[in-house]
Amino acid sequence: MLLDDLIDSAQSDELLDEFAKREIRRAILAAVAIPGYQVPFGSREMPVARGWGSGGLQITLAVVHDDDVVKVIDQGDDDGVNAVNLRRLVTTSTGADQTSIAAEASVIQSRHRIPEDGLDEESILVLQVPVPEPLRGVERDMRELARMHAEADYSRMWVSLYEDKVRNGVITQTTGYPCLVNDRYVVATTPIPRWDIPRLHESPFLTLFGAGREKRIYAIPPRTKVEPLTFEDVPFEVEHADGATCSLCKSNAAFLVSLPNSDVWMCSDTDWCRRTREASA
Amino acid sequence: MGYVSARGGLDAIRAAERLVRRLRLTSESSWLEEDQILEKLRLLVDRVMGEAGLWAPRLAAKALRQSEGDATEAVHLLRAYRSTLPRFAYSESADADDVKVERRIVPAFQRVPGNQLLGRSVDYTARFLERQSDDMAREEAEKLRSEASGTPGDEGGEAHDNTDTTQRSPQRLLEMLREMDLVVDRRRADDPEPFDITRTPARPPAARSALLSSMTRADTGALVNQWYRNILGPDGYLHEVTLGEVRHGALDVVVRHPVTGLPVCVTSVRVTEVEAIEDLEGVDEDRTKFDVGYGLCFGHNERKAIAMANLDIACHRDAGRTQLEQSLLLTTDALDSAGFLEHLKLPHYVTFRSMIERKFAMRKARNRDAS
Amino acid sequence: MTNDVEYGRYPVARLAVPEWMLKVERLGRVYGPYDDTVIASTGPEIGSSKSAVNGAVVAAWDVSFEVAAGEALGLVGESGSGKTTVLRCLAGDVAPSCGEARLRTTEGDVSMFDLDSSARRRLRIDTLAVVYQDPAEGLKMNISAGGNIAEPLTAAGWRNFGKIRDRASELLTRTEVPINRMDDLVRSFSGGMKQRVQIAKALANSPSVVLFDEPTTGLDASVAAGVLDLIRSLLEEHRIAAIVVSHDFSVIEMLTSRCLVMQHGRVVENALTDQLLEDPHHPYTQRLVAAARA
Repeated sequence: MLLDDLIDSAQSDELLDEFAKREIRRAILAAVAIPGYQVPFGSREMPVARGWGSGGLQITLAVVHDDDVVKVIDQGDDDGVNAVNLRRLVTTSTGADQTSIAAEASVIQSRHRIPEDGLDEESILVLQVPVPEPLRGVERDMRELARMHAEADYSRMWVSLYEDKVRNGVITQTTGYPCLVNDRYVVATTPIPRWDIPRLHESPFLTLFGAGREKRIYAIPPRTKVEPLTFEDVPFEVEHADGATCSLCKSNAAFLVSLPNSDVWMCSDTDWCRRTREASA
Repeated sequence: MGYVSARGGLDAIRAAERLVRRLRLTSESSWLEEDQILEKLRLLVDRVMGEAGLWAPRLAAKALRQSEGDATEAVHLLRAYRSTLPRFAYSESADADDVKVERRIVPAFQRVPGNQLLGRSVDYTARFLERQSDDMAREEAEKLRSEASGTPGDEGGEAHDNTDTTQRSPQRLLEMLREMDLVVDRRRADDPEPFDITRTPARPPAARSALLSSMTRADTGALVNQWYRNILGPDGYLHEVTLGEVRHGALDVVVRHPVTGLPVCVTSVRVTEVEAIEDLEGVDEDRTKFDVGYGLCFGHNERKAIAMANLDIACHRDAGRTQLEQSLLLTTDALDSAGFLEHLKLPHYVTFRSMIERKFAMRKARNRDAS
Repeated sequence: MTNDVEYGRYPVARLAVPEWMLKVERLGRVYGPYDDTVIASTGPEIGSSKSAVNGAVVAAWDVSFEVAAGEALGLVGESGSGKTTVLRCLAGDVAPSCGEARLRTTEGDVSMFDLDSSARRRLRIDTLAVVYQDPAEGLKMNISAGGNIAEPLTAAGWRNFGKIRDRASELLTRTEVPINRMDDLVRSFSGGMKQRVQIAKALANSPSVVLFDEPTTGLDASVAAGVLDLIRSLLEEHRIAAIVVSHDFSVIEMLTSRCLVMQHGRVVENALTDQLLEDPHHPYTQRLVAAARA
């Protein structure tokens, strides 16, 4: 490479150099080949801070072309400040088009949610992961964690679920529910709500998980078995509130969030809510 | 494509950005020149370059100006900029003995070959807050300049008081201790490529080069805290450490020319280097000898280099008994820790909703059991 | 059927075991570099397991025995004699320096020391269990009694909460732990009760071999007697091959039918337990027996 190229590259809108993108694509391929395995990669520093979607952003930049259409959401909301910030970084640096409609998007970068609908064989879902290690709660030593994954030794995870149920009457794990992928690796499902977990199972779309700070990429390829860890006789429970419906679209078929200390509920997937309202209008 | 903005998130961001720029750019005082930052805030520039892992004084000055003096933010700007550039060469191995020493302290002996060289240091300067007027400061500056006339200053914005600089590399105390057979010899015969922490995440158990690279880029405060914790913390103990060398000076960086293949000096970096000699008293250690830890970082940052050297030997002696190595590799990076801390400011209403739902589920289960 | 075998200079009676479950041959564990000279510089005749040649410690050397299903073998000796080292090598906690240990499983004989750490760990789940002197080694203190038992069960693939609860309560009932304490943290249990939970956990997957390391040392005499009674009846009930390590002849007498006496890392005597107590041959054994009888 010549010095002139370097200078060109430095003055472009690129957030990542081409070698880095290639390296990330290789990590993604490895992740797809071994579903649920956390592939280490040389995570680069991004214009957004660690913990703010730097891993998801690197994946998105590595897979997006200028003919892609991207959707970026935070908490299900296309217009959340973090979603807006990441979307403008992606679109200005790649030239990709943007949409809020999941079905129109080829790449969807998300923090904490899977869109309620619209993902198909053509979609890539990129999830931002703050803590990729599902076993951190039962083991802190990374050498031991590596061994546990290598030997699929997840009994302590099961014991923690057992203890939870004994102590609290229910499994209290809230978001990021641990799942067994392809009968082999236990993964942290980022903090997506339990509501979204069933949609990872045998999904038509590819899900890529990016943890920039912890420098890990993992994947759930299309049509892969994804089971939330739970006992045969303790049903997996998704979020639910009796009688709750969205105050805007009147639906109860989506993940709802509420105002503090009130019975006013709203869809967290704002675009789904908008389309539901438009359809019924 | 369909994009419907619901509530003006972009407008809010733009307004925030305008406020940032307005406060930075429209204050009454004159434009802060890069040279001023390079010359008047030298140690801050050094620290930012060290934590960024990038020797680029002018860029560091720009970053500090842009971040309004927030060192961690400046490190972020430098590293994110670095991410946009390809890596097109690796430097040749540099020999620390080639450092042109500007300061050298050997606390382990009173007199040493090559002498003690105090150089620029505030170690023995009484910490009085100077309250002289600007005029008095200018007057003093004039006087100092005339005293030092005839001594060439540094170029490229890296001004240094080179009055006392002796350009030489004195024999290391460590070499003399080795000649006395007082040091455990851990030098290896092979010469493995150093671990590149920017390309492969370092995880325990890691190569020593990975540990050293992590520490040399670490947040200075974090590293000092790790060192102190290793002494006074819940699993710490007092290490019997004597510093063998504390050095600061300039070191040439050489790369092979891509066409001719000949070595070419591309820049000179200033580094701080420390060797920490630790007494051995462990049951499985050779009590008749010392062992040594090594620290080296960009710029003049003795606090960091000393902490690094001490932690290098502490980690070797720990040999995986505690999770010191994991702490050093994973918890000392300025951007990792600060970014994750600050991400708590991001919206978390989806996760919080899920938590509240479980609280009610637990109560329901409890009531069911009670009835 | 008995036949006589030369063990060192002392003729010892040896029960021919028709169907061994665990067979140990020439097990050795040395800390530090060693050769024949180093080995020869240690042992009962020298009076030390630490070599004067190079300071290496021959913690155990040339230890061989067999244990059959339904049989309990004792390893007796003072602290530092090497008995716990032998147990830890078999448990997989310590790597042996030499020797072989073969375990009979449903899938054929397994040479334990040839297994990688992952396979060793799997063996510990359902085939070979250990009851440690210190309950903190065998149990997680901040987990309930039931949860501690759930660990080997889930490791063996149990995925039904109700069935795990049933199995845990069955085991706790059998080991005489009050069932209303099943959901209490083990940390809150008394020493004897912790030991009972540890035994319950060890039995969770019906192992064919159980190693007991000083299972009652540190317990009050009356509590220890209760735990010993429990272990004895469990050994009678299940066709377990057991190894009991103890410095205490009363424990060995109560639980085992045969035992090896160890001193300075070597086996000095190998006999039927009652014979050994009646008629100890080796002077060291005589001293131990005399001390126990005093």
